[in-house]
Amino acid sequence: MNRTPTETERRRWRGLTPRGGFVAVVAPAVAAVASIPLSRSGPASAIALFLLAIVIAAVSGGLYAGLVAALLSSMALPFLYGAPRFRLRLDGTEEIVTAIVFLAVALVVGLLVGSASEERMRATRREREARLLGYLSTKLLSGEVPDRVLDDFASVLLEPFGLATCEITVELAGTHLHARSSQPGVEGGGPDVVVPLVVGTVAFGTVRVERPAGRRALTSDEMILLEAAAKQAAAALDRARLDARARMAQLDAETNQLRAAMFSSVTHDLRTPLASIKAGVTSLLDPSVDYEPAQEQELLTTILEETDRLNRLVGNILDLARIRAGALAPSRDDASLDEIVEAVVARMRPRLDQVTLDVRLRDDLPDVPVDGVQMDQVLTNLLENAARYSPAGSTIGVSVVPLHDRVQVRVTDEGPGIVEEDRERVFEAFYRGTRSPETPGSGLGLAIANAIVTAHGGRIWVEGAPQGGTAVVFEIPVAGGIVEANV
Amino acid sequence: MTLVLVVDDEPQIRRALRTSLEAHGYDVATVGTGEEGVVGVAEQTPDLVLLDLGLPDIDGTEVIRRVRAFNDVPVIVLSVREDQRDKVAALDAGADDYVTKPFGMEELLARARAAMRRKQPEEPAPPVQRFGELEVDLARRLVTLEGEQVHLTPTEYGLLEALVTNPGKLLTHQWLLRKVWGQGYGTETTYLRTYVRALRKKLGDDAQAPGLIVTEPGVGYRWVADAT
Repeated sequence: MNRTPTETERRRWRGLTPRGGFVAVVAPAVAAVASIPLSRSGPASAIALFLLAIVIAAVSGGLYAGLVAALLSSMALPFLYGAPRFRLRLDGTEEIVTAIVFLAVALVVGLLVGSASEERMRATRREREARLLGYLSTKLLSGEVPDRVLDDFASVLLEPFGLATCEITVELAGTHLHARSSQPGVEGGGPDVVVPLVVGTVAFGTVRVERPAGRRALTSDEMILLEAAAKQAAAALDRARLDARARMAQLDAETNQLRAAMFSSVTHDLRTPLASIKAGVTSLLDPSVDYEPAQEQELLTTILEETDRLNRLVGNILDLARIRAGALAPSRDDASLDEIVEAVVARMRPRLDQVTLDVRLRDDLPDVPVDGVQMDQVLTNLLENAARYSPAGSTIGVSVVPLHDRVQVRVTDEGPGIVEEDRERVFEAFYRGTRSPETPGSGLGLAIANAIVTAHGGRIWVEGAPQGGTAVVFEIPVAGGIVEANV
Repeated sequence: MTLVLVVDDEPQIRRALRTSLEAHGYDVATVGTGEEGVVGVAEQTPDLVLLDLGLPDIDGTEVIRRVRAFNDVPVIVLSVREDQRDKVAALDAGADDYVTKPFGMEELLARARAAMRRKQPEEPAPPVQRFGELEVDLARRLVTLEGEQVHLTPTEYGLLEALVTNPGKLLTHQWLLRKVWGQGYGTETTYLRTYVRALRKKLGDDAQAPGLIVTEPGVGYRWVADAT
């Protein structure tokens, strides 16, 4: 297994391998033994057998094995068939012609086999180069950590080049990467060579390889392959660098876009109620107008509603700020989610008079360690959202079920639903879904719910509800992990 | 006249409360710090204290503790939503109720009336209290619903008694546990929840549209039925 293809190739051309020598001796010997029973019918069948032996030797052992087999065969043939029999000699014209033919066959077959195997070697090398390139590019471009890819690459180079150690040093996008791989149990300190990693005129770093102690330096063939591999590595790294830069630019653009959207959203949402309030109050303070009681009532109702709206928004923004500041440690107590659901439903009922509420609770719910106030807020936010998107007369469903080691709460509505591609983004702050930019709301409710549920070790997600509409589902783990629920 | 002491460091809130409370026939005194608040309670013996938790000098909870050392005047805490834990601490320290800022005057006045009603010394609680179809005879420890006797366990009755004798007051988990189960209790909210559920069931109260007991998640329970 340790013999590399380059070494095999070299042996085929430059000498007789042990296996070649073995075949070169054994094949004619077998032919000689096999021809003995046929010897009475003359030398023709023996010659054919020897030719076969020579071809076998040349094919399996290479040119030199073929030639040796040819020599042995041409000496053996007269020994077997010359007169007197069983005497070793090589003097007749017939014998000389036979020997020349044998050698010529060995030469032709050996050369053909050699060039075919060289062709195969080239193909293998090209394939390996391509594989290395593909390996590097896919690894680097798949977003894998570059230093791990480099580690892999360094170890991939060890075997084909028979190296003791391979070190790769890269300066990429301002970061310094270093990878080193050694063949286990092999002493380094043999001849070493350094190949630069270059794309165009930009040098990225180097590949340094070291052969085992006491071994010869890399051949020029191997150097060419190593340089090719280094070149491919450099190209792949360069692409990874460009790709990373492009990704970074895209991320920057997205962040900026989000920030702009956030500011415009907050500015709009804060100013709108303030504008209504100020307009209402200045109207009422205007000494030149005498309002009808009904008009006065209307103005005052507007002021009240807008104050509440502003209060909710400010509360949400403050919550989000606290979440961002990491100040959302839940103060947990054993609580039952059905009790919290009931309390929230009871409090919100007046605001849900346009819809039918379908609340499904169970008697076998285990306690969960939660911050009651924060859970209240999660449920309030989910119900507010559901109410906001629910057409009049539709149903909002709330269900709480025990699962193996957690409790699951599901809030469904029959509103327009959330398109598949928005279902993760709705948990981002200030994101309001592509289909409903006009619906009031700050886009903070789900972000806050997400932060709270996550702080409780749970998770929250959006599903399409079976009847159309949206289902927001969250799960809170039970203390100790396992619920003994009689499900 | 009924005197209300407002302890808040925001002049705008003091002005709004003074205007509104005076319009409803209360006398109003206002101070801006916790120290002044404690002194105000001692010197002016108000009938009600409206106390902001976020004061510039001493913490509102500390004000309650100092006041409670010599006076059991009803105290309603005015707090912003972020102070949830402080709110519970203030209730445990002896506050009667809290109202979250910003609040509607209507809500504040209702809470204020309820708190002051509880402290009328010349009007001892009648032994039989009626809440619509529900009748609680505190002397004979008998409960009837629509004329039928309701059989309560001693713990259920203890819980009901604690609730109906503190109408409108937000009773924290800790307070209820100590009151009903005893001093050694305070964190066993699971017991409390189980008994509240049983009590609701026996009294025919719907937790999703409560007429008797309202849950304040993470804080406690409140008896909301008006005596008839």
